[in-house]
Amino acid sequence: MATEDARYRQSSQYQLWSFSPTRLAAMRDKTNAAARARIAERLSSLPALSNNTSAPTSSANTPNADGSSTPALPEFLTPPEEAQLVTFFTSELLRAGDHAEMSDDIKATAAAFFRRFYVTNSIMTYPPQEMLFVALFFGCKAEGTFVSIAEFGKTFDREHPEDILAGEFLLCQGLRFAIDVKHPFRALRGATMELATLPDIDRNRLAAAEHRAREVLRFSPLITDAYFHYTPSQIMLAALSLADRGLTERLMTQTFHHVAPPPDNSGADTPASSGPDGPAPATKRGPPRGSEDKAQIIGPHIRDQVLGTIEACRNLLARELPERREHWSDRAVLKAQVTPLRKKLSKCRDPDRWNLVELQRVRREQAAKRADSEEADPAPPGAAAANNTAAGDGTVFGDALAPREVKRRRVLDDPFGGPL
Amino acid sequence: MSRKAPPGARGAGASTSNGTTSSAPALPTISTEDMCPVCKTIRYLNKDMEFLINPECYHSMCSNCVNRLFNDGPNQCPYAGCNRTLRRKGFRSAFFGDLAVEREVDIRRRVAAVFNQAEDDFETLRDYNNYLQMVEDLTFDLVSGGEAQRRTAEATLGRWEAEHKAEIERNRKAGREADEQSRRRLAAERDAARQRRVEALQEAEEEKRERVRNREAELDNLALGDAGAGAGGAQRVQLKRRGQAAANRAVEAAVHTAVAAAADVGRLSIRGLKEKKKAPAPEGPYDPFAGLDFVPGRYKLHTGLGHPGIDKYKDDPAHITGGYSFDEYTARAMFEAFAGLGVFIEDEMEAGIGLSAGEVATMSAGIAAVGDRMELD
Repeated sequence: MATEDARYRQSSQYQLWSFSPTRLAAMRDKTNAAARARIAERLSSLPALSNNTSAPTSSANTPNADGSSTPALPEFLTPPEEAQLVTFFTSELLRAGDHAEMSDDIKATAAAFFRRFYVTNSIMTYPPQEMLFVALFFGCKAEGTFVSIAEFGKTFDREHPEDILAGEFLLCQGLRFAIDVKHPFRALRGATMELATLPDIDRNRLAAAEHRAREVLRFSPLITDAYFHYTPSQIMLAALSLADRGLTERLMTQTFHHVAPPPDNSGADTPASSGPDGPAPATKRGPPRGSEDKAQIIGPHIRDQVLGTIEACRNLLARELPERREHWSDRAVLKAQVTPLRKKLSKCRDPDRWNLVELQRVRREQAAKRADSEEADPAPPGAAAANNTAAGDGTVFGDALAPREVKRRRVLDDPFGGPL
Repeated sequence: MSRKAPPGARGAGASTSNGTTSSAPALPTISTEDMCPVCKTIRYLNKDMEFLINPECYHSMCSNCVNRLFNDGPNQCPYAGCNRTLRRKGFRSAFFGDLAVEREVDIRRRVAAVFNQAEDDFETLRDYNNYLQMVEDLTFDLVSGGEAQRRTAEATLGRWEAEHKAEIERNRKAGREADEQSRRRLAAERDAARQRRVEALQEAEEEKRERVRNREAELDNLALGDAGAGAGGAQRVQLKRRGQAAANRAVEAAVHTAVAAAADVGRLSIRGLKEKKKAPAPEGPYDPFAGLDFVPGRYKLHTGLGHPGIDKYKDDPAHITGGYSFDEYTARAMFEAFAGLGVFIEDEMEAGIGLSAGEVATMSAGIAAVGDRMELD
């Protein structure tokens, strides 16, 4: 196993946040099902509120007095619908990042956070419009750019920056505290550097390809599930092959050169000029020293496998090329695809979790209440949860030995018998 | 009803406990200027008057009265209304000034002698705590409970004593042994300390004598004529000697501990298997990267790698003054370009090519568990 791969396998991105497509779909289904069950339960426990969802405030409202008896449960979002909404809100997130003129890394990190969060949390449970800003703000911090919350709120015209802070810990939990996201941007630089050392590569062609690939990287992998299914280097190569397939293949043959490298087919299907204008540099790799190990790392077999993976990734990215940026903010598309889903979402969202500030307050109170009784099980936030903690406190020292009356200290009762 | 005032009823010191004499008579207290409540002798007349109590009823009286009343065998307590029969043997002088405290201490001692289980006798800490709670409740009943409560507590105590006789005896013996051991240890330590002191004293004495001898030798040398050499030599000798004593001690101590360690090893070698398990093969130096190899496998780090994007920083004082190495950047970029190229997530997460199947299973279980938790909490 190549040392680079071993090192990548140590990352939290690989260990916690890499899934095969089937597993990811299964997780999303599970999340969706769980959210459905819980929200249905909550909605039926708040009968008067379930059709009173016009305001985004949650259960704190007084119940309606019009006495409408438990209406039928709303129609829930299906997993594909949820995925589409997440994609839409990801594009919104990227747009917000552009608006705030954030760096590529921040936007990418925030987008990855956002998508990761909504793998194990349903979009019906927590408000995506809020979590989007939370992810952006937290992404800033994760990438080492520490903007003040007031400033950040001002950028987006939010008069209550506390809303953003309220979701921060929630987001961290959803990310399973894996804050480091590996991006393909620097990898693209590395690939360019490597390619630039080759003798027969036109600099202009390389620069154009890099520019295009970077554009792809800024959008396509973020809005698809590429970060879950592929490693940064694979994503980078896929983007590069979208920009200039010849360069990618050149790099691949250059890298996996072990036994009998196939004939050089650089630029076979790209119209770009491939004039041999560079003098032959001395940095060309020497002939490989044959060994089993080398074949495992840079042999033709693994090259084919990598090429297959890159091709799959490329197909994934090709679905959301940067030109689709406008697609997601196009009025007609919004009206046709997104607005109905958002309407549906507003009907089936979780009444207890929708308001992040309120949720955080309730959770803090609960945490304070059960600070010393560990066995108190996580109960749903709300009035019912507060009651079972007091009972738990009494039994810290075990159950009572025997029912006793309250002790009274009777010192003045003469224990020695009658008076003199 | 004629009643004798309790001994402390008058005088300044009595005001603490006798505030409500009329409703409930306070405990008799002993004060230095007391008068015997039985014979009305006051200390003025009998300088070495001593007050005794009997734990039966804790009524105090002077030793003369005790001798007078109880020398001829058991008799009734002379206090009015107290119908206890007391014996001469039971009298003793009180340790505490406040007889209520005296009584409580006596009761506690009695209870502790019966309920003498140690924490090791219980399976869980909670059981032990429950037991302690029970004992404390019982004690409280005995000390300040009503008549009925006291009687039930007494009964409980008696029953327990009867039921657990052997156990109590065993625990008592164990407690005595522990006491004995600690006493012996203390004594040994004290002995060792004394020994050390004596040795130090002897050493000091020796040193003094040595100094005197040196001085004499020095004077002799002076008398003979070669002053400087003699004095310096003596000084040096003395310093050396002093160092020698300390060094000798250190060596001795080292030998001693070595012997002790050897003895330890010899003793523990009976349980040799355990010993062996504790010390596996030497681990070698600590590797913070847990065996990760940093030599690139797929690419070679060429010198002179560059990128138009970083060229402009190469002359930027803000970057070069701080000692920023652009090789670091290129190395990292190259690493990221090739890291994970051979990681096929789809295959590995499904079948586990890079990982063993067990690892994959546990990982997915963990993921599922966390997913559940997140949904539920």
